[in-house]
Amino acid sequence: MMRSGPAGPAAPARPSPPEAGPRSPHGPTAARPAPLKRPVRPRRRAAPAAVRRRRWHLAGIAALLAWTLPPFLYLVMLSVKPERILIDRSQFLFWPTFERYHDFVASGLGAPIWTSLVTSTLGSLGTLVLAGLAAMTFSFLEFRAKTVLFLLILLPRMFPPVTTVIPIQLMLKSMGLIDTKTALVILFIGFEIPLAIWVLHTFLADVPRELAESAAMDGASLPAIVLRILLPLAGPGLLAAFILCFIFNWNEFLFPLIVTSFNARTGSVAMMSFTAGYKKLQWGALATLGVIMTIPVVLFVLAFRQSLVRGFTAGALKG
Amino acid sequence: MKWAALGSGRVYFWIMTVPAVVYVVAWRLGPAVYTLWLGLNQYNIVYDAAPRWNHFANYTLLLRDGALRQSIGLSGEFAVIATAAEVVIGLGAAWFLDTDPPGRNLLLGVFLLPMIMAPVVVGTAWGTLFDRTVGYIPYALQLLHLPQPQWLATPGTAMFALLIADAWEWAPLVALLLFAALQAIPREHFEAARVDGASGWQLFRRIILPQITGMILVAAGLRLMDAFLELDKVIIMTGGGPGSSTQFVSMFVYKQAFQFYELGYASAVITLLLAALGVAYWLYLRSYGRALGAANP
Repeated sequence: MMRSGPAGPAAPARPSPPEAGPRSPHGPTAARPAPLKRPVRPRRRAAPAAVRRRRWHLAGIAALLAWTLPPFLYLVMLSVKPERILIDRSQFLFWPTFERYHDFVASGLGAPIWTSLVTSTLGSLGTLVLAGLAAMTFSFLEFRAKTVLFLLILLPRMFPPVTTVIPIQLMLKSMGLIDTKTALVILFIGFEIPLAIWVLHTFLADVPRELAESAAMDGASLPAIVLRILLPLAGPGLLAAFILCFIFNWNEFLFPLIVTSFNARTGSVAMMSFTAGYKKLQWGALATLGVIMTIPVVLFVLAFRQSLVRGFTAGALKG
Repeated sequence: MKWAALGSGRVYFWIMTVPAVVYVVAWRLGPAVYTLWLGLNQYNIVYDAAPRWNHFANYTLLLRDGALRQSIGLSGEFAVIATAAEVVIGLGAAWFLDTDPPGRNLLLGVFLLPMIMAPVVVGTAWGTLFDRTVGYIPYALQLLHLPQPQWLATPGTAMFALLIADAWEWAPLVALLLFAALQAIPREHFEAARVDGASGWQLFRRIILPQITGMILVAAGLRLMDAFLELDKVIIMTGGGPGSSTQFVSMFVYKQAFQFYELGYASAVITLLLAALGVAYWLYLRSYGRALGAANP
C-alpha cells in the first residue's frame, strides 16, 4: 500500500552512488541532535542552517499574516475611521472614533445581533440535547437497525442547504411562523444534528466501551449509564459540538434571509440590507456590523482552538 | 454492548434515539424528498393555488434553458479555479506549518479565522476592498497608474473578485486537512531521505507528496462540491451580476424560486443538481476510501 520505504524508490541522490543506498541510517556526516521529546528535522549544517531556518520561518509567518489579516484590519479600520475622511484612502493615520459602536444600538442594529445570539444559542442547545442522546446510544450499543438509523441521520449532510429551502419556506408559511425567532430556532436545531452526532461520535469513540459494559453487567439502567458514565466523559465532545453548531448557526445566511424579513432578521441578513438601497453608501456602519459579527468567532477561536480544529477536521472529513 | 443485554432498557433507547431521527427526517430528509416531487409540478406561488402535475414540462424546459447551461458552466469554472488556488495556497501553508515555526498553533488559529467567520462578512470585506470609493485594491492600482476596472461591475473582474474571496475563505480548510496529513507522516522518513542526500524538492516530490495525495484529493473534492454551489458571497458581492456573468447555479435557483416564484421549475433544477452531486459523492467516497488506505499503511 505504502511506498516501500523511505529510502527505497526515492532520490537516487546525486552525491551518493546508487549502490551506497542502504547506508547506515546514522549517516557519516550529520552531527545528529540528541533525541528530543519531539523528533526534530535533521539539519544539514549546524549553525548557518539554524539561522537560515529562522529567517525562513519569519518570512513564512509574515507571508501567512499578510495573506490572512488585511481584510480584518481593513474592516476594523473602516469602522473607526471618522466619517468625513472615510473615503479619503490616503489617510491611514487618524484619531479613531467609536461613535459607530455607540450608535449601533440606537440605530436599531443591535436587534439583529441579539436575534442571532438568542436563536443560535437556543438552536445549538436543542441540537445538543437531541444529538447528544442519540450519539450516546450509538456510541456503545450494537444493534441491527443501527446502520439504518445512522445513515438516516447522516444522509442529509449530503444534501446542500439549497435543496431544502423551498419546502421549508412553504412549511413555515403554513405554520404561520415566517419572520419569527421560533422559526429560526426550529431550523437551527435541525440543521446541525447530523454534524453534532458525527462530532460527538468521534469524541465518544475515545471512551472505553468496557466502562458502559461493566456498568450494564452490574445492572445499571440505560439512563444511569448515560448520566453517570457517558455524560461526565462527554464534556469535551459536547463543548466542541456546541461551538461548531453555534458558529454555523451564527453564520447561517440563506435560511434567515428567506424565512425572516424584519422582526426576526439576524445579523447576517442585516448585513445584506447594506448592499442595496439607501443604505448602500454607509460603509462605516456596514464595517461596524461586520466587526461585531466577527467578534464571537474570534473569541471562540482564541479560547477553544483545539476542540475547534478537531471538530472541523471531523466535520469536514466525515460530513 | 449487545442489544440483547439492554433488556427492558430498550424503551429508554427509543426515547433517546427517536427524537433526533424524527427531527432530521421532518426538517431535512422530508423537505428534500418534497423537492423531488415539486420538480414534477407546475407551481408558481403567485399564479397557482396548488402544485399541479405538468408532465415533465419542467425537465423539458430545463434541457432547453440556455441561462441554466450558462450558470452551470460558470459554476464549474468558478469551482475548478477556486479549488486549484485553494489547494496550492493550502498546501503551501500546511507545508510551512509542518516545519514547526514558532507560535505554530496560534498561527494556525489565526489562519483558520476566514473559514470560521460568517461568509457574509467575508463577502462584505472583499466587496468593500474592491469598491471604487473606499476599497484599497483600486486605490493601489491608482497609485501604480494601472488601469482601474470597476471590479464588481465588469464581468471578468467580478468573477476574479469572487475567486479571491473564496480562496481567502477556504484555503485554510485545505491547509487544515493537509496539515493533519503531513503530521501523520513519520519523521524518520524525512531523516532517512535527508541522510541519503535527497534535496528539498526531491524530499517533497518523492516522500511527502505520495503520502498526502489521497488527502489532497479529498480536500479538493470537498471544495469542488461546495464551491460549485456557492451562494452567500455571490448574493453579497455581485448579486449574480453584472448581467448574468456571475450567476452561478445556486443563484440561478435562488432567483427562479424567490424572485420569479417558479417553485416547480426551481425544484426541478435542484433535482438535477442533486443527481449530479450524487455522482460526485460516489466518486468522492471511492477516492476517500483510497485516501484512507494510503493514510494508514
